Amino acid sequence: MITDPVTATGFAVLQAAGLLAVAPLVRTSIAKMKARLQNRQGPPLLQGYRDLIKLLRKEVVRSETASWVYAAGPVVYFATAVTATTFVPVLVAAAPLEAAGGILVLVGTLALGRFALAAAALDTGSPFGGMGASREMTIAAIAEPALLLGLFAAALAAGSLNLGELVRTLLSRGQSYHPSELLSLAGLFIVLIAETGRIPVDNPATHLELTMIHEAMVLEYAGPDLALVEWASAVKELLFITLLIDLFVPIGIATVVTPGSIAVAAAAWMAKVFVVSVAVTLTESTNAKLRLFRVPELLAISLGLGFLALTFRFL
Amino acid sequence: MTHNILVLCAAGMLVSAFLMVGQRALITTIRLYGAQSWALGVVAITMGLADGRPHLYITAALTIGLKGIFIPWFLVRVVDRVGIHREIEPFLNVPASLLTCLALTVVGYRVSAGFPVGTQLVAHHVIGVSLSMLLIGLFLMVTRKKAITQILALLTVENAIFLIALGITSGMPLVVELGFSFDIILAVLVLGIMVFRIVDRFESMDVSRLSKLKG
Amino acid sequence: MLLSAALIAHVVAIVIAVALVRRPAACRIATFGGAAFASALIIASAVQALASGGVDHRVLATHAATGFGLSLTIDGLAAWFLLIQGAVALPVAIYSIPYMRHAVPPARTPVVGIAFNVLLASVTLVLVSGEVVGFVFAWEVMSLATTALVASEHEHPANRRAAYLYLAMSHVGTGCVIAAFLTLASGAGSLAFSDMLTGHVVTGSTRTAVFVLFAVGFGVKAGLLPVHVWLPEAHPAAPSSISAFMSGVLVKTGIYGIVRFGVVGLGVPDPSWGLAFLLLGSLTAILGVLYALAQQDLKRLLAYSTIENAGIIVIGLGAAMMASSAGRPDLAAFGLTASLLHALNHAVFKGLLFLSAGSVVMATGSRDIESFGGLLRRMPWTGACFLVGALAISGIPPLNGFTSEWLTFQSLLLNFSSVPGLVRLNFPVGAALLALTSALAAACYVKAFGATFLAQPRSTAATQAHDAPWCMVMPQAALALACVGLGLFPGPALGALHRVVGALPGVAGASPVGAGAFTMTAGSPAIDVVRPLIVGLALLGALAVARALTWRGRSPVRRTATWGCGGALSAEAEYTGTAFSKPLIMIFGAVYRPTREVAALAHGSPYFPHAVRYRARIEPTFERFLYAPLTRTVLWLAERMKVLQAGSLHAYLAYILALGVGLLIWLGGTR
Repeated sequence: MITDPVTATGFAVLQAAGLLAVAPLVRTSIAKMKARLQNRQGPPLLQGYRDLIKLLRKEVVRSETASWVYAAGPVVYFATAVTATTFVPVLVAAAPLEAAGGILVLVGTLALGRFALAAAALDTGSPFGGMGASREMTIAAIAEPALLLGLFAAALAAGSLNLGELVRTLLSRGQSYHPSELLSLAGLFIVLIAETGRIPVDNPATHLELTMIHEAMVLEYAGPDLALVEWASAVKELLFITLLIDLFVPIGIATVVTPGSIAVAAAAWMAKVFVVSVAVTLTESTNAKLRLFRVPELLAISLGLGFLALTFRFL
Repeated sequence: MTHNILVLCAAGMLVSAFLMVGQRALITTIRLYGAQSWALGVVAITMGLADGRPHLYITAALTIGLKGIFIPWFLVRVVDRVGIHREIEPFLNVPASLLTCLALTVVGYRVSAGFPVGTQLVAHHVIGVSLSMLLIGLFLMVTRKKAITQILALLTVENAIFLIALGITSGMPLVVELGFSFDIILAVLVLGIMVFRIVDRFESMDVSRLSKLKG
Repeated sequence: MLLSAALIAHVVAIVIAVALVRRPAACRIATFGGAAFASALIIASAVQALASGGVDHRVLATHAATGFGLSLTIDGLAAWFLLIQGAVALPVAIYSIPYMRHAVPPARTPVVGIAFNVLLASVTLVLVSGEVVGFVFAWEVMSLATTALVASEHEHPANRRAAYLYLAMSHVGTGCVIAAFLTLASGAGSLAFSDMLTGHVVTGSTRTAVFVLFAVGFGVKAGLLPVHVWLPEAHPAAPSSISAFMSGVLVKTGIYGIVRFGVVGLGVPDPSWGLAFLLLGSLTAILGVLYALAQQDLKRLLAYSTIENAGIIVIGLGAAMMASSAGRPDLAAFGLTASLLHALNHAVFKGLLFLSAGSVVMATGSRDIESFGGLLRRMPWTGACFLVGALAISGIPPLNGFTSEWLTFQSLLLNFSSVPGLVRLNFPVGAALLALTSALAAACYVKAFGATFLAQPRSTAATQAHDAPWCMVMPQAALALACVGLGLFPGPALGALHRVVGALPGVAGASPVGAGAFTMTAGSPAIDVVRPLIVGLALLGALAVARALTWRGRSPVRRTATWGCGGALSAEAEYTGTAFSKPLIMIFGAVYRPTREVAALAHGSPYFPHAVRYRARIEPTFERFLYAPLTRTVLWLAERMKVLQAGSLHAYLAYILALGVGLLIWLGGTR
């Protein structure tokens, strides 16, 4: 636990900046892998950064009928995504702001971002915005118990809801796999798909009214507002991937702060992120997008897996 | 000697109650009530003589004066003014009523046997008669339709309670008796006036017509 | 003494109201101003009692022959609820001064003012009563005053029906409570609470029966399933400031009763009680929020949301009771702290939401959110306050709703680690259900806030709306600040609760919560720790960074029309509240059982309709399957028994005769 406020702040800024920097790369690499599987070239790996820079340099255009909520939506969404990164351990077995909160604060902060974006979407007055907000809040509502149940399974096994403490306990215990961990991993993977808006829950590359969820919410944004939203989505994706890694495969995370261990941790982290990205790509490419009213069934499976994990571990 | 008079008067009161049940004519019923009250007065005088309590003489005077003379006179006047002299069609016909009153008497005597003081013969009779008269009075109220009969039944019940008070506990404190007496006077006066109003309004003394007021 | 001063202030306000009957404006200011002053005194007395930490007991009157005495007791628990009462009543009273001019006709203002003061005074007396008679008397006066206030706009039959339903159900509850009190009193031989609530007075199945009676009786007031049906009718029917008080404080008096008499007053609880409360609370919370999502009436939505939060409070109580029965009084303290803190937080943000809703209703003349829209530009302050309330109630950090929900989660999960056996799997399931509730609440309030304040106005009334006067905005702003303050600095409240809970019987002194002004821990920092202030600061920092990225300096933002698929976008194309919650209604169709009718109206040929009528309904499950059969049975029985009351004098006399003879035979025949 880092108690010194200056160190904590510096560490937080560093970690947030690092994740902000890597997130577009991860997103583009998933897009490229998907394209390759479809026999296409796909975008170059740095395309994500180019898109962001292009958007950030554009003029700010906003809807004339909307109020300050519309302008605040992307800003709050981005801020919450960035803040959330400081509660999760990435390279070191401690989260920068773990003295400020654990799992519940993480989920709550992301909920704030979602609330802001949904309200902003309703503010546009366009049916796309309302539709996107409605669908997004529905799926988030059903995904949240699945997410928390899966996280609780891991947390209760390690005896802490604080992510830094959780990782430290897992590392000190060594890696021994219990069948319940596989179950909760499966459950949380489904939630990852749902929260990041990928096939089979949502299609991140579509703008068809029938098939949009997240995209419908952000349809009205352009220029810097859109850059913030895209960047924040990428960070959220990377955050969830990191969370999954921390809970199930924490080996390689540095327990002492030396350049050597940090380098090893960074390499391990990138490798694990790559593996999870491959898993996400394969899931996206081998499944069709579900109808909106089939998504609760998928999330119910996730909920069931989480509950089974708990039962197996504690009975 | 005292005991004999007591039992005799009590029996007389019970007989008068029975006769009231068997009567159709209102004037006769009122006269029977008067006789009942006179018997009660005699009981009071006897108790006063036997126990040497002077205030029982005042009680006797009150009873005979108010209940034996004044109330019957007042009620006869009411009946004359109203012009209804007979009780028509009670809910239960006379033979059946008399049988029921016999059964109520049995109940009254049975209950009096249950009292600890009921082992004495006089007390046994007094309590038995009082309870029977009370039940017969209530029965009268249930089965008769005319308002005058209802008043008389109420007065019979009051007589029964008075009898128990006199016979067993040798009278109540004078203050209580005065209170009771004035209560009775007031009740009768008010009821008498009410009878006028009822007849005035409904042109009948039939109390069962009150059920027409039901919503 | 401050409490007596407050009661005297209420009486003075009532007297002045009677004197000023002819002058409605002055009467309004006098009564509600007096109520505000009294509420301030209540807050002061509560703070004083909480700070000193002692128990103030005073006897008002004693009857020498029976040894019975009227007494007042202000202990920690009463002080906490007095604080809740004052914290809500003060803004409500100030808000009512301008609001009542629009809400009730001038002739009725004195009555409403008097009833409000009577209500406040009776709530205070309920909270500080030390024995049964005073408690029940004050409880009844409270119900009657509330009925009078609910029926203050009695021209509408819906309001009359709501008041009648409230009165009837309130009396059912009071009946159960009195039955339970009498059972305890007969066991203890005294009517004073200090004798009745020692925990050893009744045992076994009697104790369970008393607990059930208390739970049902006080559950009516608290809005728990299945006796909650009066809440969605009565809260919208009352004037909005009164609704704020009802949701904020009256529901909490029910919670107070449950806590004092059911949870800690009967000794160590049975494990089945805690489990039952856990299940009941979860069910209440889920169904409350689901029904809230389906409402288009803004105040009904808020009323169902109150039911949801009552469920959350009961979840905490259930966890506390299970910990207590498992022999862990420290965890019981934790659960109780979570519940009591949520009681305060809910009172604050629900009061805020109702006051804002009241401003909206006053400005537009309607409660239907489908006719609102775009009000944020026309009522910016009210909108901002409503937003703060909506964020708080959705459990979003760093506001106060998150604080108490975090505590409830922690109490559930800590119980999991310490209660042995199969039954402990209930706790993570309960936590998952709580998470579902919280997420659904967020969806519900996005809908409420969005449909009311955002996008374009959907009716002429909404186009012409203007913001409320400052006297109505100030109380809302104060409550919003309280939400933020309680969220960022949970320490003082938790410190006060630590003393309050520690003084309760059967609960250990050391509550593992709150380690400073800014921190909440669950036992130890290694388990979990929250510093909401740091979260808030981090958010601010990130917000600054984000703002910097979109900053364009002096050049203005270009404004253009929203994309309308090539045509002009009108207000009719907006997503309405019904549309927003439709996916959830379809997903949870098993709960709602929705039905719909679509009819196309055409003059001539059916192929050219001139209008399409759409009507959607959800099944009122409790009314239809529980209360309607119950009412039918009772009425059927009454019809059968009507035969006895034939209206015939002779029949009644015959009953007396029969009873007399029967009694004589029964009692007189034996020696």
